[in-house]
Amino acid sequence: MASRPRATNPQTSTGNMIADSALGLVPETLSAYMALNRKIWESGPLPPAQIEIARLRNARKVNCVFCKSVRYDIARADGLSEDKVAMIQDDFRDSALSQREKLIIAFTDQILIDPAGVSASFKAELLAEFKVEELVHLSLAVAHFSGFSRCAVSLGGMPDELPIMEIPLPQ
Amino acid sequence: MNWLNSGTDHQSTIAVLPDIAAAYDTLYQSLWTQPHLPAQTLELCRLRLAQLHRSTVELQRQEYPVQEGKREHLTHWDTDSRYSALERACLAFTEVYAMDTQAITDELAEAVKLHVGDAGLVLLVEALGILDGRTRLSLLWQLPASIHPPTAEGA
Repeated sequence: MASRPRATNPQTSTGNMIADSALGLVPETLSAYMALNRKIWESGPLPPAQIEIARLRNARKVNCVFCKSVRYDIARADGLSEDKVAMIQDDFRDSALSQREKLIIAFTDQILIDPAGVSASFKAELLAEFKVEELVHLSLAVAHFSGFSRCAVSLGGMPDELPIMEIPLPQ
Repeated sequence: MNWLNSGTDHQSTIAVLPDIAAAYDTLYQSLWTQPHLPAQTLELCRLRLAQLHRSTVELQRQEYPVQEGKREHLTHWDTDSRYSALERACLAFTEVYAMDTQAITDELAEAVKLHVGDAGLVLLVEALGILDGRTRLSLLWQLPASIHPPTAEGA
């Protein structure tokens, strides 16, 4: 993993972790990027704890150290415990997670590993558990998180490890 | 129509979530008007991602016109003289990004920055994330291919 940042952060500090990152070098997209992030967390039918399961699964599959270390406070407030986070591993199917939570992880994997290969039986399982609006929400959330994680990895400067950090939703 | 709802394309599929759809559209449109990376270069990267993901839907779509011949010869971007040095640098970066983001090297990033600076590199990786995500969703939702694919003519 690249230890040297490939782009410099903006010279000015705003106190907003995204605006103060290299993403702040492109103000023409920054506000729209942050607005979409907020809408995904606040305006869709899935609750924060379920969105966070998808985000953390993506973080682990893409191997974004920063994304893996973050916990959104709204997801914790919604009931996502560290015990549950510890189950978001490759053996999640044998874990104590609920069927709905397992399907969220499996759906995230499908998008990240083989988006074209969704089977008829998996579609039926998803449609039996989720409303269509929830599946569209989950799809967009995973695509967004995947893009963010890959962006962070691509820009380098990632340490090998970071402690768990609880953060609020960037405004 | 996809397997989720009556949507026939990305926009109509996500229309069931109007707030998120509006925010997504604003971000997506901003990619094509920003000053850091030419939209034609971004379109070539989008098309190359579509090729690598084998997404007929995204490959058929035209987001921004490209110079004649560039769409057709995109698989030969590294040897074809139609492509500029900036386009080659961005396409090289895009290919590695699509295959394994962790495998991106400092050299690939420096080659992009040589032409468009730090902000151009940041825009490229931000855009690739959005375009890669959109391509994955087109495949996931099994969106139908257009019956009116774009012609090869470009600006």
